[in-house]
Amino acid sequence: MGAAAAVTTPVVELDRISKIYASGRVHVEALRGVDLRIERGDLLAILGPSGSGKTTLMEILGCLLQPTSGVYRFNGEPIHTIKPDGLARLRGEEIGFVFQSFNLLPRLTAVENVELPLSYRKVGRRERRRRALEALERVRLGERTRHLPSEMSGGERQRVAIARALINTPSFILADEPTGNLDTRTGGEIMALLHELNADGTTVVLVTHDLAIGDQAKKRLYICDGEVQDGAQENRGDS
Amino acid sequence: MNVGQILRSALLTLRSQKLRTALTLFGMVWGTASVVFLMSWGLGLERMIDEGFNKIGNNVVHIWAGKIGEDFTPALDRRELWFSRDDVEAVRRGVKSADIVLPESRGWYSATYGETMLSRDVRGVEPAHMIVRNTRIAAGRMISADDVRSRRRVAVLGSKTRHELMGAGARLGAKIRVMGTPHRVIGFLEPVGTQLTRDADEIDDQIWVPLTTLLGQRESPIENEEVIDIIVLRAKSREVFEQLKREVRPILSRRLGVSPDDEEAYILVSPIESLQNMPIGRMRGMLFVLAVTTLGIGGIGILNMMLDSVQERRQEIGIRLAVGARRRDVVAQFFMETLVITSVGGVLGLVFGLVFCLFLAGLQVPDVIPLPIVKPWIIWLALSVMGIVGVLSGIIPAWRAAGVEPSVTLRAE
Repeated sequence: MGAAAAVTTPVVELDRISKIYASGRVHVEALRGVDLRIERGDLLAILGPSGSGKTTLMEILGCLLQPTSGVYRFNGEPIHTIKPDGLARLRGEEIGFVFQSFNLLPRLTAVENVELPLSYRKVGRRERRRRALEALERVRLGERTRHLPSEMSGGERQRVAIARALINTPSFILADEPTGNLDTRTGGEIMALLHELNADGTTVVLVTHDLAIGDQAKKRLYICDGEVQDGAQENRGDS
Repeated sequence: MNVGQILRSALLTLRSQKLRTALTLFGMVWGTASVVFLMSWGLGLERMIDEGFNKIGNNVVHIWAGKIGEDFTPALDRRELWFSRDDVEAVRRGVKSADIVLPESRGWYSATYGETMLSRDVRGVEPAHMIVRNTRIAAGRMISADDVRSRRRVAVLGSKTRHELMGAGARLGAKIRVMGTPHRVIGFLEPVGTQLTRDADEIDDQIWVPLTTLLGQRESPIENEEVIDIIVLRAKSREVFEQLKREVRPILSRRLGVSPDDEEAYILVSPIESLQNMPIGRMRGMLFVLAVTTLGIGGIGILNMMLDSVQERRQEIGIRLAVGARRRDVVAQFFMETLVITSVGGVLGLVFGLVFCLFLAGLQVPDVIPLPIVKPWIIWLALSVMGIVGVLSGIIPAWRAAGVEPSVTLRAE
């Protein structure tokens, strides 16, 4: 994708996305015709109470789940035309995940966890280590690279997860309740870090039920009962 | 991920799940070792049976004279039957499926050397008995045709007789008394060991003298006749044994003047028949079933542990999928883990199995207990079956777990 196209094409474009979970006779409509555009450099908060469908939306955005209907264009490319290996590549290179429960591999050290996405790409060992240390440096964890997740605080673990999300310089970082398991102060630090990354040009998508966190975002999308609330994608138009 | 990375990751996982790894390893080791041992032991058993029969002679057939058995024969004719040299000659001429036909007479007689006196199974034999009985001379020589012609008083001793009669003083050329007369010891037989079938005492316990010598010295049961107790034949092969029986029957019936249907007129015995009646096939089948069951149990153990491992690590699989692992990357990881376990367990099992076989082979066990025989195909069989089971039980659950949408695996706790 050329630089010119990158300027004009939104990173993410959702067109009438629906998701129906079918379990026996019970059908649950988690998403009903969601439209969404994420531009390069955005800091978007997807807000909604639990059960609103925001987790489903997050999973679809992260290519962890296929929508039942609708079109999802990633950098202009409809993802339903991409084969499973292509989706794996997309998840590995274009999307950086930050989860509420950190989702680090407990047996790997911090730097090894950060390296993990690169290990599925053809990146040499030394290069992997160099880039992982660089990413840890960027989240200010340069001192604790050899520790296991169990030896780290929640805030530190989340920073390792953010470093892992950053390592492939993804098109966007998808953070699902990134402060949910953290105390207010640590959560604030994590948010500050995400803002900092966004200021450096990284597109960030936050999924949260916490309005205070949503308030810090440039754009907000309210979701309820699987639908985007009327006029809810608001632009704070700052910066 | 390259192979080195996958291997490192596999070792890391195995190390962190010590108990599970140990249990699986144990299953593998046990399975492989048991299969190696059972199959080898089965082979040993078969060989022992085979050799046991060969010890009494290569496809040897004995014909013992019996008695007239039919109820309607006059009391006068209810006589003991016996063979003459002419009968042996007739069998030699008429039975095409035997390549050696020999007369033999025998009896229990006293044997004396110095202060020692024993009662022994004394056989009157001819030189070709060496071949039919499948024995070898340990020292000295076998009875020669010349000894037979000249009725020489010479004797060849079985290995046990040699020790029990002569002890440490055993030497060739010594004089022993057999049936009351001095005989010169001209040869010692090599030990034969336990014979699975035998006509009287084991060869190791026997004393062999020329047939003519024995016939000349013993009081004949029939006046002025040389009574042959046994006709010894060697069948050309095991396969012609039935034919041999069909050939013998008309000749002997005619010569002994008995009905061809008389089952008691003479008794024909052969290890071939016993061998045919032995449930070797069933034994082999049983060992095979045992081995397969053992392997199966080992396999189920591995399958169970891998299923468990994959189930427990679904979240890990989800995380890996989320950071860009393809389905085959996940499968490769689990494949490597099982491959490591399977290889280590297989090799250890092999070593234990072989060591146990060697240990048994080193024991001074009586020769009625078979020693295991390890053949390369047994090793390959055990390793490949364990390998296939192990690797499949690693791949299949991982393949399935990595096939569902990552969101599902990721949510698993």
